[in-house]
Amino acid sequence: MASLGTFLLLASFVVSSYAAVVSVAGARRRSRRLIESGIGSFHLVCALMTAASAVMINAFLVGDYSIKYVVHYSDSVQPLFYRVTSYWGGLDGSIMFWVFLLSVFGSVAVWVNRESHRELIPYVVATISSVQLFFLFLMVAHNNPFATYLTAAPTDGQGLNPLLQNVYMAIHPPTLYAGFVGMTIPFAFGIAALITGHLDDSWLRAVRRWTMVSWLFLSFGLVLGMIWAYEELGWGGYWGWDPVENAALLPWFTATAFLHSIMVQERRSMLRVWNVTLVIVTFFLTIFGTFMTRSGVVQSVHAFGEDRTLAWLFTGFMVSILAFSFTLVIYRLPMLRARNEFDSWVSREAAFLVNNWILLFSALFILFATMFPTLSEAVTGTRLTVAAPFFNKWMLPIGLILLFLTGVGPMLAWRKATLANLRDQFLWPTTAALVTAGALAALGVRVWSSGACFALCAFVTGTVVQEFWRGGNVRRKNTGTDILTAMIGLVGRNRRRYGGYIVHMGMVLIFLGLAGNGFKKDEQVLLKLGQEMTIGKYTLRNDGLKVADDGQKQMTTAYIAVSVDGEPVDTLYPAKWAYRNREEEPTTEVAIRRSIAEDLYIVLAFQASDLAAQTATLQVVVNPLVDWIWFGFGVLALGTGIALLPERAYSFAAAKLPAEAATASGLLLAMLLVGGTTLSAQAGMPAGPAGVNVQTSFYARTDFERQMQHEIVCTCGCGHITIAECRKDPCSVSHEMRGELAALIDQGKTRDEIIHAFIARYGSEEMFGVPLDTGFNRLAWLFPYLMGVTGAVAIGVAAVRWTRQPDDPANTLAPVDDGLNDRINDELRDLD
Amino acid sequence: MTHRYIKIGATVTVLTLAFSGLLWSTLREGTEYFKNVDEVASDRSAWEGKKLQLHGYVVADSIVRRRDSLEYRFKVQNNPMGAGQTGSIMEASYTGIVPDTFKGEAEVVLRGRLGPDGFLTDPNGVMAKCPSKYEAAEKEKTASAGL
Repeated sequence: MASLGTFLLLASFVVSSYAAVVSVAGARRRSRRLIESGIGSFHLVCALMTAASAVMINAFLVGDYSIKYVVHYSDSVQPLFYRVTSYWGGLDGSIMFWVFLLSVFGSVAVWVNRESHRELIPYVVATISSVQLFFLFLMVAHNNPFATYLTAAPTDGQGLNPLLQNVYMAIHPPTLYAGFVGMTIPFAFGIAALITGHLDDSWLRAVRRWTMVSWLFLSFGLVLGMIWAYEELGWGGYWGWDPVENAALLPWFTATAFLHSIMVQERRSMLRVWNVTLVIVTFFLTIFGTFMTRSGVVQSVHAFGEDRTLAWLFTGFMVSILAFSFTLVIYRLPMLRARNEFDSWVSREAAFLVNNWILLFSALFILFATMFPTLSEAVTGTRLTVAAPFFNKWMLPIGLILLFLTGVGPMLAWRKATLANLRDQFLWPTTAALVTAGALAALGVRVWSSGACFALCAFVTGTVVQEFWRGGNVRRKNTGTDILTAMIGLVGRNRRRYGGYIVHMGMVLIFLGLAGNGFKKDEQVLLKLGQEMTIGKYTLRNDGLKVADDGQKQMTTAYIAVSVDGEPVDTLYPAKWAYRNREEEPTTEVAIRRSIAEDLYIVLAFQASDLAAQTATLQVVVNPLVDWIWFGFGVLALGTGIALLPERAYSFAAAKLPAEAATASGLLLAMLLVGGTTLSAQAGMPAGPAGVNVQTSFYARTDFERQMQHEIVCTCGCGHITIAECRKDPCSVSHEMRGELAALIDQGKTRDEIIHAFIARYGSEEMFGVPLDTGFNRLAWLFPYLMGVTGAVAIGVAAVRWTRQPDDPANTLAPVDDGLNDRINDELRDLD
Repeated sequence: MTHRYIKIGATVTVLTLAFSGLLWSTLREGTEYFKNVDEVASDRSAWEGKKLQLHGYVVADSIVRRRDSLEYRFKVQNNPMGAGQTGSIMEASYTGIVPDTFKGEAEVVLRGRLGPDGFLTDPNGVMAKCPSKYEAAEKEKTASAGL
C-alpha cells in the first residue's frame, strides 16, 4: 500500500507540473485544446490526491505499521474515529491533507467559474498547480508520509498524542486548513487577473464568495482551537498568544480587511491596488503561518518540531511568492488606478479604509511580536521574549477601536456624510453607549477596558438594531406586512448587507465574552478531604479522589461538591487521565459548570502522594461571560451563511409563490407570534398575476414614478439596466430600489431630493442612467456630442488620407509590431 | 501638490514617532531576557532583579514540596541529562500548581526574577517541555526515505 501511496503522490506531482505548463502555454497561444488539457489534468490531480488520501486512511484503519507515519500517530487500541483523524495528526500527513484540500477546492473553483471567467481559468489553474507543486515537492523529496521502514516494521504503533484525542482537536485542524487553503483561490484569481490584465471588478465577484467561505472556516478553526485550549489544556484560558495561534490569526485579519475593502471597490472603483495587495498578503500569511508551525523557527507548544531544510524550502517559496506577485502588481499599476477619489474623511469608504489600516496593523503587530524573540536574537544576539501581557496591552485598544468602527462604518453615507446624516444615524446608538457606560459606572464596574468594551458593544448593537428597525419599517410600509416579517424579508432581499450586520452582532457577542475576562477569578488551592474553599459565589468541598482503569487509560478523579449560598447545586469531577505508553504525559480533564453568566472551571493537579492523603490540588477559575464567545461565533456563522446564500436559492423559493406569500410563509413562526395581523395585511395586498414574480407590487403608479424608474440604474451588477427594466431572475435589488423610490415618492419628495437620497445611500452617481445636469457633470452631457464631432472629423481625415496616392514609395507604413499590437488590443479591451 | 506632500509627510512622521514611542515604552516593560542557567550564574549580580526567562533542566530528584502546600523548591542545571557535565546549577522556588510535565530531568523555562536565595518563579511561571509533546523525536528522516 505504501508503494501505491508514493506512486500516487509522484503521479500528482507530474500531472500537476503538466497542468501548470500546459495551461500557460494554452493561454499564450490561445489554444483551446491546450487549455482544456490543462483543466482536465488539474481535475486529475484532485482524483489522484483523493485516491492517495484513501490509501492513507486505509493504512490507518487496517493498521499498516510498515508505514512510519502510521506507527507514529496511531496504535491498535485507538478508537476508529481517531484513527481516521490521525491522517492530519503529524507533519507529513498534514502537508498531504493540505494538498488534498487544495486540489478539491481548486477543482470546484475552476468548475464553477469555467464559463463566467473563461479568460482567467488557465492562469488560475497554473497558479494553484504551482502552489500544489511546492507542497507535493515537499512530500516527494523531503517528508514522504508513505515512507516505510528499511528494517523490520514494528508490530504496533506509538499512538496519537492523547491531547489530540479530543473531538475538537479532530475537527479543528481540518477546519483551519480549509480556511488557509481556501485563501489560495482568491490569490490564484488575483494573479490570473494581473497576468491577463482583466482587472475590472469581475475577478472580485469570482473570489468574494470564496474569501467569505474561507474566512468562515478560518473563524471556525480559530474558535475550535480556543474551545480545545479551554477544555483540554486546562489552564483556565482560551487564548495565550502562542505563535501558532497567532499564525492562524494573521490571515484572518487581512481577509477581514479584504472583505470590507472589496465593497469600496465595487461601489466606488477605489482601493484596487489595495485589494489585490490584500489578497496576496493574505495568501502569503497562510504560507507564512504554515512555515512558522512546521519549521521550528519559533518555539511553541503546537509547533511540529525543528526542521532546517523545511525552513529553507519554505523561505524560498515565500520569497518567490512575494517577488512574483508584487512585480506583477507594479507592472499593472497603470491599470489599477482608482477611478474615483475620496470626497471626505467622514464617509463610509474612509471608515472602511481606516478599518483596513487597523486590521492590517493588527496583523503586522502580531507578526512583529511573534517574531520578536527570533528577530532580537538575530540582531542583538540576546534572545528577548515578549509574553501575553505585551500583546494584551496593544491589542486591547486596537480591539476597542475596531469594535467602534464596526458600529461607525455602516452608519456613514458613501462619499460624504452630512451633519444631519451624522446626527440622524448616531443619536440612538450613542445614547445606548452612554446609558450603558453610566449604568456600569453606577454599578462600580471599571470604566477602562471592560467597561469601555461593554459601552461599545451597546453602541454597535444600537447601530445594528437601528438599521434593522428603519429598513424593516420602510419595507413594512411597502409590503403591508408586520415589522418582524418585514425585517426578516429585509434580510432575504439584501443578504450581504444584513448578513454583514448579523456578523457584526456576532462580533459584539464575542467582544462581550472577551470583556468578561477582565472579571476573571483564579485561585490555586490544596484541599484536604472534607475541606472547603470559597471563590465568588461558589463554595467547593473536597469529597475525595478515586482511581479507575478502562484498559486504555488510568483515570484519577476528584469529587468536588459545589454549593451556592449554602445550597448544594452540583458535584464536579475534574480528572487526570494517564494513557498506556504515555504515562509521562497525563491529560487534564477539566470539570466545567456552565451558565450564561459565568463558568466555574476546575482543574485537578495530581501527584501520587495526593492519593493516599485524599488531598485535591485544584486550580479553580471563575470565567464570566466566556460562553458568549462561542455563542457569538454561532451568530457570526449564521450571518456569513445568510450573506453567502446564493441569489438563485431565494429566487427559486420566490418563483414558486407570490412575493409576499413567499416571505410570509417562510416565516410561519414569526407570523404565529404576531397573530393574524400578517395574514390580514397580506389579504389586503394587490395580488400579482399567477407566475409573475416579486416585482408586481412596484409597477410605476404615476408617470413621475415611471420616469424616475427609467433614470435610476440597478446596482445588482446586471450592467447598465434601469430599475424599471431589470426584472430578470427576479432581481431583488431592483425590486428593493423600486420600493425605496415608491416610499420616497409617497413622502412627497421631489426629483432632486430623490436623487440626493439615492446618492447618499448608494454612494455613486454612476447609478443614474442620465448624468446629473450640474457642475462637472455638464461635461458628460457634452461628451457624446464632442465624441460625435471628433469621430466625424476623424473619419473625414482618414478618408482623405487613404484615398491619396503615396507620393514616395519609401514612405510606406512601418511593419506592424506584434507586441505593440497586442498591448493596444489589451488596453482597448480594458477601456471597454 | 507640494503642500499636499508636506501634509502627508508630517502625518506619516507624527504617526511613526508616536508608534515608535509606544512600542519602545511597552517593549521596555514587556520584554524579558531569555537566558540559560550558565549565562545567569556566571554574572549573578548583573541579572539580579531583572525580568528573566531562565532556561534549564530540572536536577533529578531535586524537587521538594512543603507538606500540605503548593510551595516547591528545586534546582535547575544548564545542561540536559546525559550531557556528561551538568553545567551551572541554580536553586529555584515556586508556589502554585506545576504542569504535569514538571519532573526531574525535564527541560523547563522559568519566568521570574533572580533573588539572593535563588530564582523566584512568578505565579504560573513554570513552562515544562516534554520532548515528545507533539512530534515523536524522530531524527532519522532522509531525503530519500521510502522512495
